[in-house]
Amino acid sequence: MSWFTALLVAALALALAFLVLPVVAIFVDAGPGELLASLDDPGALDALWLSLQTSLTALALIVVVGTPAAWLLATRSFRGRELIVTLIELPLVLPPAVAGIGLLAAVGPRGLLAPYGVSFTLSTAAVVVALTFVAAPFYLRQAQAAFAAVDPTWLAASRTLGAGEARTLARVAIPAALPGLTAGLALAWGRALGEFGATLMFAGSFQGITQTVPLAIYERFSTDFTGALGLSAVLVCVSAALLLAVKLGFRAAR
Amino acid sequence: MLAGCGGRSEQLTVSAAASLKSAFTAYGFEGMRASFAGSDELAAQIRQGVRPDVFAAANTKLPDELYAAGLVEKPVVFAANELVLAVPADGRVTSLSDLTGDVTIAMGAESVPVGAYTRKVLDGLPADERAAILANVRSNEPDVAGVVGKVAQGAVDAGFVYRTDVRATGGELRAIELPPELEPEVAYGVAVVKGAEHPERAREFIDGLLSGAGRAALDRAGFLPPPGT
Amino acid sequence: MLRVEVETARAGLALGFEVAQGECLALAGPSGAGKTTVLSAVAGLFRPERGLVVCGDVWLDTARGVDVAPERRRCGYVFQDYALFGHLSAWRNVAYGIDGGDRRSRALALLERFGLTERAHARPAELSGGERQRVALARALAREPRVLLLDEPLSALDPRTRAAAARELLAVLRETGVPALLVTHDFAEAAQLGDRVGVIDGGRIVQLGPAAELSARPASAFVADFTGAVVLTGVARPGPDGLTAVALDGGGEIASTDAVFGPVGASLYPWEVVLEAGAAPSSAQNHLEAEVVSITEIGGRARVALLAGQPLVAEVSVAAVRSLGLAPGARVVATWKAAATRLAPR
Repeated sequence: MSWFTALLVAALALALAFLVLPVVAIFVDAGPGELLASLDDPGALDALWLSLQTSLTALALIVVVGTPAAWLLATRSFRGRELIVTLIELPLVLPPAVAGIGLLAAVGPRGLLAPYGVSFTLSTAAVVVALTFVAAPFYLRQAQAAFAAVDPTWLAASRTLGAGEARTLARVAIPAALPGLTAGLALAWGRALGEFGATLMFAGSFQGITQTVPLAIYERFSTDFTGALGLSAVLVCVSAALLLAVKLGFRAAR
Repeated sequence: MLAGCGGRSEQLTVSAAASLKSAFTAYGFEGMRASFAGSDELAAQIRQGVRPDVFAAANTKLPDELYAAGLVEKPVVFAANELVLAVPADGRVTSLSDLTGDVTIAMGAESVPVGAYTRKVLDGLPADERAAILANVRSNEPDVAGVVGKVAQGAVDAGFVYRTDVRATGGELRAIELPPELEPEVAYGVAVVKGAEHPERAREFIDGLLSGAGRAALDRAGFLPPPGT
Repeated sequence: MLRVEVETARAGLALGFEVAQGECLALAGPSGAGKTTVLSAVAGLFRPERGLVVCGDVWLDTARGVDVAPERRRCGYVFQDYALFGHLSAWRNVAYGIDGGDRRSRALALLERFGLTERAHARPAELSGGERQRVALARALAREPRVLLLDEPLSALDPRTRAAAARELLAVLRETGVPALLVTHDFAEAAQLGDRVGVIDGGRIVQLGPAAELSARPASAFVADFTGAVVLTGVARPGPDGLTAVALDGGGEIASTDAVFGPVGASLYPWEVVLEAGAAPSSAQNHLEAEVVSITEIGGRARVALLAGQPLVAEVSVAAVRSLGLAPGARVVATWKAAATRLAPR
C-alpha cells in the first residue's frame, strides 16, 4: 500500500471513529437493561409521547401547506421566484437560537402579530410552531426539486387526457415525485424531532406540555445521566430509521 | 479551552452559574474565559471529566458534593443572593399570594439551584397554596437566564429569579420580595478544580472575588456579602 | 375537420392549414423548425401570439380571446417519447383518460385490439419500445378524440419494429376517421404515413401536397434536399457476386450490397441516379429503363420524375437534361450503384 493510500485510510478511520464513537457510547455506557429501565418513568414517557405528537402535527401542517407551495414554485416561473425560494430556505441556515428569537419577535407574547390576537405562549401549540418553522424548509426544498424533476411531458399528457391541473398534481405529479417527497418528509421529521434551542426559547420546558425529548435529555443530563442516555438511545434509533427512509427514498427516485 | 500559546497572560477557564454572568464579566480578570449555565449542568460536566480551572455555583451544595467526590479543592463561600419574584415593570402580580390566582409562572428546573431554592420557598407554604402555585407553572427552565427571559418576553406573569438578575435588566423587570421567613439562604460557593491547568491563577481569581476587583463587581451587581460577614 | 393557424414570435412560426376528416397531414421539417409547437398549440399546451384552432368547436381564437383549456379539448396526443405514466400499469395508463365505471373493460378492450392483453398489467419500464408505442396510441384513442396528434411516432423505434408500427398506425388512422396531424423530421416517415405532406422551412409551410409531388416537383431547393430518398418496393434474395438481388414490384431487377432478404423497400437518393440515353454500359450496376414524366428545374439542378414500373426520381444537372434532350415521354436508362441502394424490411 502506498503512503498516500495509507493516509487516505487513516483519514477515513479517524472520521469514522469520531462520528461513530459518541453514538456507540450512548448504548454502551450503561447496559441495555438500565437504559430500558430509565425509560420507565412518566417524564420520559411524556417526553416521547409529546415529541411524537408535536412532530407529527408539524409534519402534517408542512405537508398540507408545503406540497401545493412546492408545486407552484416548481412549475411556474414568475418575477421574484428566486427571492421567494431563498426566503423559504432561510431557516435552514439560521441557528436555532436565532429561530427562537425570530419566533418570539413574530408570534411571541409581545410579537408583531400579538396586537392582532395571534401569539403563542408556553404551550404545545407553540412547540408545533417552532418545529414547523425549522423543519418546513427541509420538506419544501426536497418537494420542489422532486416536482421539478417530474417529466413535463407526463404533465402535458395528463392534461390532454382530460385532467385539469389539480387532478394532474394528485394523479401524476405526486406519485411520480413520491420518492423525493418521502425523502423530504423524513428529513423534516428528523429535524423536528431533534429541535431544541428554538423550542426552549419560544415554548419553554414543561413536562407533558412542552418538554420534548431533547429538552428532557437536557434536564436529565445533570442529575440522571442514565435517564439522559436512555432517551438519547431512543432518539438515535428513531433518527437512524428516518435516515434509512431517506436513503431508500433517494434510491427509488433514481 | 486554549493552551496559553499566543498570549502573554495565561488563560483561566471558569465554569460559573448563569446569575454570575454580568458580575464576572465586570470583574475583568485578565485572560478569563467563562461559560455560564445552570450550576447543575456545569457540575455534571466536571463529573464527566471536564476540567475548568474554577467552578462557581449558585449554591454550596454542588461545590460540597464535588469536594466530597474529590473533584475540587475545598470550596469557599464568596457571595450571597436573594431569591425574589420577578414581574414585568407594569405587571399585575404584587405578592407571592397573587400566584395562586389566574397567573402563569416560570421557575428553574428542580436540579438547578434557583429551582431548588424556589421549591424550598414553596415547601414553606400551606399545602393548598403550594399546589395552586405549582399548577400555574408553565416552564421549568434549565437555568435562571431562561426564567428571566420568559418573564421579560411576557410569556409568563412572574418568575422566581435572583435579585441580581432583576437588577441586570435595568428596570425592565421589577422585584417583589418574598416573606423573610420563607426566604432561603442563597449562598454561592467557588472552588479550584482538581487537575486544573492553572491552579495558581485560579486561587488569584478566587482571592479577587473575596476582597478585590471581583468583590467590587459583585457588590455593584447587587450581590450580598457571604453570609456571616 | 381541423383548421389551424399559428403565429408565434418565439419559434418564428407563421402557418395555417386544414386537415380533412380521415386525412393524415404530415408536417415535416428539420429539428427545431417549430413542428412540436404546432402540435402544442392545437392541444392547448401552448398559446401562440396569434392563432386559430377549430375542430368542430372553436378551441383557440386569440382574436376573440377564446382559449379552451387542454383538458376540455378532445385531442389524442402521442408524444415523442410516449410519456407513459411510469407508476401506472399499461391498462391504467390507457384508462387514465376514460371516465365512468366501465373504464377498466374499455381499456382492456383497447389493449386487446393492439395485441397487448398479456401486457395489460405490466409497467411501462417492463415494456419494449414497440409495446410502449402501442400503449401510447391506445391511451390517446381511449377518449375517442376528435383529432389525433402524433409527434415523431416512429423515430424512437428500431428499424425492424418501425415497419410493423407504421403498418399498424396506418390501419388505426383509417379506422378512426378523425383528422390526424403528424410531425416528423424524417421525410420518408411523412411520406409513408401522411396523405399530404407539408414541408416547414423558416417557420412557414413552403410546400403542401402528396409526398410524391414534393419529391418530383419540389418548390424550392430546400424541399428538394429535404425530400431525399426514393423508395422502390420489391422482394430481395441472395444474388450473384455476394450481392442481394431485388425483384421490383412492377418489373425489373436491381442489386444492393445490403444483406436484407424478403419483402423490402429499396431506397436511393435522386442525386445518386445517372441518366443515360441507351443501354450504354457504365460502371454502375443497376439499370432501369424508364419513361420521363416531368422535369423540374431548381437552381442549376433538375428533378426528373420517371416511371419504371414504379415511380422514380433522378436529380441531374440542367446541362445533362439538355444534352440528353430530356422531355416528358422520353425514354432513358436510370443507372446507380448497388452500394447506393439501401434495403429496409417492409
